[in-house]
Amino acid sequence: MAVSPRVFEAARLPGAGRLARVHEWWEQEHVFGYGLILPALLLLTGLVAYPFLMAVYFSLSDYWVGSPGQFVGLANYRDILGNDVFRQTVRNSFVFTGIALTLKTVLGVWLALLLARNLRGKRLIRGAVLLPFVIPTALSTLGWWWMFDSLYSVVNWTGIRLGLLSPPGPNWLGVPAYAMAAVIAVNVWRGLPFFAITVLAGLVAIPREHYEAAEVDGAGAWSRFRYVTLPLLRPVLAVVILFSTIFTFSDFNIVYVLTRGGPVNTTHLFATLAYQVGLQGGNLGQGAAISLFLFPMLGVVVFLQLRYIRRE
Amino acid sequence: MSDRVDRREFLKAAAGATAGMAWLASGRAPAFAQKRELTFLSWNHFVPASDEELRRQAEVFSKQAGVSVRVDTIAHLQLPAKFAAEAQAQSGHDMVISGFSHPFLYEHVLADVGEVVDELGRKYGGWYPFAAESAKTSSGWRAVPWFWISFPGTYNQAHFKAAGLEPPKTWADLLREGKILKKQGHPVGIAISHCNDAHSTYWSVAWSYGAKVLEADGKTPAINSDKTAEVIEWYKELYADAMEPEVLSWDDASNNRFILSGKGSWIHNPISPYNSALANRLPIAGDLNHHRSLAGPAGIHSAPPISGLGIWKFSKNIALAKDFIRFLYRKENFDAWIVASNAFNHPPLRSFADHPIWTQDPKLAMLPKEAEFAHPRGWPARPSDAVQRIDINFVMADMVAKAVGGLPTRRAMEWAQDQVAQAARGQLKAA
Repeated sequence: MAVSPRVFEAARLPGAGRLARVHEWWEQEHVFGYGLILPALLLLTGLVAYPFLMAVYFSLSDYWVGSPGQFVGLANYRDILGNDVFRQTVRNSFVFTGIALTLKTVLGVWLALLLARNLRGKRLIRGAVLLPFVIPTALSTLGWWWMFDSLYSVVNWTGIRLGLLSPPGPNWLGVPAYAMAAVIAVNVWRGLPFFAITVLAGLVAIPREHYEAAEVDGAGAWSRFRYVTLPLLRPVLAVVILFSTIFTFSDFNIVYVLTRGGPVNTTHLFATLAYQVGLQGGNLGQGAAISLFLFPMLGVVVFLQLRYIRRE
Repeated sequence: MSDRVDRREFLKAAAGATAGMAWLASGRAPAFAQKRELTFLSWNHFVPASDEELRRQAEVFSKQAGVSVRVDTIAHLQLPAKFAAEAQAQSGHDMVISGFSHPFLYEHVLADVGEVVDELGRKYGGWYPFAAESAKTSSGWRAVPWFWISFPGTYNQAHFKAAGLEPPKTWADLLREGKILKKQGHPVGIAISHCNDAHSTYWSVAWSYGAKVLEADGKTPAINSDKTAEVIEWYKELYADAMEPEVLSWDDASNNRFILSGKGSWIHNPISPYNSALANRLPIAGDLNHHRSLAGPAGIHSAPPISGLGIWKFSKNIALAKDFIRFLYRKENFDAWIVASNAFNHPPLRSFADHPIWTQDPKLAMLPKEAEFAHPRGWPARPSDAVQRIDINFVMADMVAKAVGGLPTRRAMEWAQDQVAQAARGQLKAA
């Protein structure tokens, strides 16, 4: 907080006059206002805008690690579009995001409805539900990786003992469909708490009167959910889905730890392929082009959802 | 001691803590203890005692030279990204472990170490042929070959004996015997997945069948050939009749677990399972044994991991780093380091290969001589950045995986040829 000039006057400190002038200048609304925004602006410029513009520049150049590149126009984009590993990655990303997001939305609302009930140990349960979201992803994914291991899979062991699977059980990380199912399962497991807790906050905010009125009108449980809960949850859901779309599309850890994009590139996502090509392979130009493909796609999603939210 | 911390003490402690945090953040030695520091980035060795010995030697060197030496080790999979970052920022460590195609990929950012290489070669009986293949670029030596890790066959002799089989000598033997072993419940295993071992095996088998990935010029794709078709057919049969589908999901440690569990009868791998069985006193250590690299119609070839020591050009301690390298290659030091690694670190210098550690254990006796079969990946092309991209994008593993998954061999090769062409197209330009 600014120190009042009177303090200096009272103390008869030298230089009090200059400080007072600085203080006066600082108190002006436009200076003070911009002064408050400045740190955030610097952070955004340094950590978001600058890397983003660099990435755009890299993607238009044949920039290699440690050697200056030349402007090559859209050659990188042409190259990656011509590569079937990239096309496969685009398909994977949509399948991964589509299925994971649907599951997270449905299960998230369901879980939130359960958590909203008055159970004994409510707080403990709500806290425990958050655990997957709190543990560092790389660490928890290692646990999953071990559970899907070809030799020591606890998932298969349990399934076989319960008679649900026939030995040796699915080769989780070696068959494209299973591997995709595995990475989606881990993503849903990790993302569910975010959905559930945020939706729970939305649920709690719905006034009881609406339900009472619906009950008076003879609405059953399903009708109450369909005509009261869901419409009033919509704004919250829209925001959660928006965030989750971004996080899911740009996921890296889960795929990198579980499959490294395999088998035969059927689980590669934009981030993992960009890392492989750009950083491990040294082709920064192409790596940047791959990761920038996320931008227009997420841009469209963000635009549509924000428009929807505003209309609400 | 009084319970209350007085103000002066508190200030002192706070100042110390702040300085400590600043030091942690800067990653440098605190100013009051600062003397000249040599920094070395290496990998987390699979045998941790090897890193301990390396640090011990660094300590001795630092006392002798009156400098401090810091050895940082990170997971080998993180090295490429760390390399890229340091080369890009033109700052970081002075010395780095160089694996794979780094001497070629970073040719223009690594210092010339030719004088050290010549000196050591003269002193210790000369370098094996793979040394120059893996570290000598057109502009000179960009790394001092440090160690390599033989990639022999590791087999469970109890399973072989039970089946009445001798260890294989050729890849064809392996196929024939693998079929019998699988029927007895003990399949063989070669990774066909996104991991390093998958490459090591593919290169070895391909060379043994006379197949190439790139022509010697390093630019012309050569994977679409009748020889590669033979290799793929061999893989398909091995996958169907001698292995289990789990090889499609393996990482670099999966085959170790596979043979240590007692299920597997044969894997293509360095001696790490044997070492870890000995270290953990697993009874299976007695059953594990190794045999020479397998032969094909075009001879015996092997694609082991080869590592060197590079010095960044931007380092301010190039001369000091060279002295440290000379120190590490003193016979007594190199020998001690081989022992610490439990024979895992194989020397690229001929006279170091006579170390008694290999003759003491008959299961290891043939390992150092495997050096004669070794080539860096990409051979007969230089291990260029194109070769690195082919490996990093798992082109061969995916080609084989596609073929064993049902894609016709011809089409799998055409796919790979296209990927190899794309990898070879963008070549790194020297700055």
